[in-house]
Amino acid sequence: MNKNTRFKFYGVLLAALVAGAAPQLFADTLLIKGAKIITLDEQGTLTVGDMLVRDGRIEQIAENLDAVTADLVIDGKGKVVTPGIIAPSSELGLTEIGAAASTNDSAISDAPLGAGFDPAVAFNPQSTLIPFNRAGGLTRAVVLPGSEEKIFAGQGFAIKLTGGYDSVTQTGLVQKVYFGESGAQLAGGSRALAYAQIEQALSQAGEYAANRAAVRRGDWRELDYSLEDLDALQPALSGEQPLLIAADRSSDILQLLALAKKFNLKLIILGAAEGWMVADALADAQVPVVIDALGNTPSAFEALGARMDNAALLHKAGVTVAISGPGYAGSHNSYLSRQGAGNAVAYGLPYEDGIKAITANVAEIFGLEGGTLAAGNLAELVVWSGDPLEVTSYAEMLLIDGQPQSLVNRSTRLRDRYLHPKAGTGHAYER
Amino acid sequence: MIGLLSACGGGDKPEARKADFARQDTFPSTYKADEATPVLIRGATLLTGTGEQRLNTDLLLKDGKISALGEDLKAPRKATVIEARGKWVTPGIIDVHSHLGDYPAPAIESSQDGNEMTAPNTAQVWAEHSVWTQDPQFALALAGGVTTLQILPGSANLFGGRGVTLKNVPGRSVQDMKFPGAPYGLKMACGENPKRVYGGKGSLPSTRMGNVAGYRQAWIEASAYRDKWQDYQGKGGEEPERNLQLETLAGVLNGEILVHNHCYRGEEMAIMMDIAKEFDFQISTFHHAVEAYKVADLLAENKVCAAMWADWWGFKHEAFDMTEANIAIVDQAKACAMIHSDSAIGIQHLNQETAKAMVAGQRAGFHIEPRHAVTWMTLNPAKSLGIDAVTGSLEKGKMADVVIWSGNPFSVYAKADQVFIDGVLMYDRDDPSRQPHSDFELGILDAEGERLPEGGQQ
Repeated sequence: MNKNTRFKFYGVLLAALVAGAAPQLFADTLLIKGAKIITLDEQGTLTVGDMLVRDGRIEQIAENLDAVTADLVIDGKGKVVTPGIIAPSSELGLTEIGAAASTNDSAISDAPLGAGFDPAVAFNPQSTLIPFNRAGGLTRAVVLPGSEEKIFAGQGFAIKLTGGYDSVTQTGLVQKVYFGESGAQLAGGSRALAYAQIEQALSQAGEYAANRAAVRRGDWRELDYSLEDLDALQPALSGEQPLLIAADRSSDILQLLALAKKFNLKLIILGAAEGWMVADALADAQVPVVIDALGNTPSAFEALGARMDNAALLHKAGVTVAISGPGYAGSHNSYLSRQGAGNAVAYGLPYEDGIKAITANVAEIFGLEGGTLAAGNLAELVVWSGDPLEVTSYAEMLLIDGQPQSLVNRSTRLRDRYLHPKAGTGHAYER
Repeated sequence: MIGLLSACGGGDKPEARKADFARQDTFPSTYKADEATPVLIRGATLLTGTGEQRLNTDLLLKDGKISALGEDLKAPRKATVIEARGKWVTPGIIDVHSHLGDYPAPAIESSQDGNEMTAPNTAQVWAEHSVWTQDPQFALALAGGVTTLQILPGSANLFGGRGVTLKNVPGRSVQDMKFPGAPYGLKMACGENPKRVYGGKGSLPSTRMGNVAGYRQAWIEASAYRDKWQDYQGKGGEEPERNLQLETLAGVLNGEILVHNHCYRGEEMAIMMDIAKEFDFQISTFHHAVEAYKVADLLAENKVCAAMWADWWGFKHEAFDMTEANIAIVDQAKACAMIHSDSAIGIQHLNQETAKAMVAGQRAGFHIEPRHAVTWMTLNPAKSLGIDAVTGSLEKGKMADVVIWSGNPFSVYAKADQVFIDGVLMYDRDDPSRQPHSDFELGILDAEGERLPEGGQQ
């Protein structure tokens, strides 16, 4: 049953591609019938429902749209529809092969820029990681710089996973900063120094903002950061742009909450392995977290409190939780955030909140499109073969910006070529 | 426990062993299972690891062994009876590729003991001599249903050293954890790692061809060493000088030590199998075999297993050609396929990793059911390690290494509720007194408590 739907859909898709047709020509109207629809919006979850998409936007979601006709009708029986998965932390389009330096654009060394570094121009929409993650259900992602020398890594941006040259949807999305053990090492050996550097950079950014002309004329005292960096920190300082700061230890998180209060920052904590230990403080400060829900080993002294129910405990305290792909998998498997969310649910996170943690919450925390299904929204969704948090389910259809996307990628191409490996030259002629 | 080798180990090699190259008893296993009262697990769904899924079936564990499977089994006197209707039971999970203890948590510089990166051939080192038995990661793996695991040295070298197979039980010494009678493994590595590590130092190997020259040279020396000892055993004369490095390699040539070969690419696997033919030894298993699917027919023909991930890729060039159907294609080509972790996180979720690989196989059009896929995490790794005669499936007489799952183990929501090793309840999710804590976890974070306040396995 699954197979037929899938191949039928591929048929439509392939025909259109061969004809060189624009994606808009797939179907003006698309009707998904009889699926479980998890809207994460006011309509809640429809156990059995229909959804009509017209010109790329959701027009209607209802228990029964029998009267409606559509260009393409998808039988959703036994299937589940959710918003597309959004990765809260990735290097998609900035990396191809981890250990091949020439294929990595996420981190800089030996350069004056820190906060001012904006890797968005290095983004490659044709990266092989994009179709692979898209096939896993990922529709959008936050792309972040890394850093090998400075605690200020630079600015993150947002993408949609269409593979098009217009994939970058927002730049200057966040400012990424390292605290904790890695921040301490980058700063010169102590968390105290990393903290002082963040404070100093923000103070000097303020000083610069208040005396911009004089600083530019050279009539001001020497500041420690380049003007590019100080300029880049302005949106963070004014509270428009979040600072995404990496920290795992509970005491580190508390220090960052104090810092955020002092400078009136919009803060997001990345990591938060011990977040559950200070969950109430995070909730009070309304600071969201991006966590790896599978990271339960005491892998560092700053993560001795790591545990499987971190997400559940944080959520229970009222913290907005986003779940990233597992740390070991990197950006190549960012979509595995859904396995992380499934495990978080197994360890106490309510089911719908598990789905929110990889969709709606990510959109909310970073201010992105997508994340919920409601009439009027862009149709950005996945039709799953079953429960999207189960490792045995998979994406059968996926829409970004209202357009159906290909689910073919190198993994499926290689699979089809070598389904029955044998000696000889034949494999090279299998496409 | 000689003669355990089967499909993957190439057990048809003639007994030529005169000298004791494996030195199996130098650091002998001192593992002794605690006395086990009989356990009757009632009414569960069993995935036996022999290709069967048996509904509503009883399983009796007695004297540390699997004693019976069947309907309405009678509980022996003093037996613990577990009502397991709705639950699933599998053999204990076996991870053929782990570095727990050698790369423990927390991962600080002083505890990184898994990779002797000082020469391309360090066949003389033994992973067991690095194992920190107090690594808190062992208990987390146990909570994930892992009852047996092979600890391998890392992959910087052409010959990394010996691996060791452990029962996942708390031990004060590594000998307390050693799987009785399990043959040693020799870790070898193809490809990028050795050439990067030594090429960077300006020494051989700096290329893949340098890698191969390094292997062959070593096997020439090992063959001569083996012959010298055999001559001595046969004809007498002056006793040859022992050489730890060559002893391990000669143990491979004599079929006592199994080759576990980190090897990603199809081309390289083919070359390694030719080297094995040249020097007349058997490769047990290719590990991290991302491209095993390309040479699955060759693996089957040469009786070489492949240990694979469900979906890892792209971290290096040799891991670029990944397909999620890898395990399924290898399996369907009748080679011995299995999941492995190489990860302190992955080892806790090998049931989920197997599930992903199973579904990828189904999507490829293969008919693969849980009753078969379970062998990828139980019986096949046991074959790879040469211990399948005694563990890896729910068969009468085998070690009672058993997991009771809260539901279908291929669901993300399933948890290992109870884990038995040799019939002893080593982990119980509902009973904090049956959840082990390593020394490291005592008084850490909370001087009067354990690492985590509620039992530690959450």
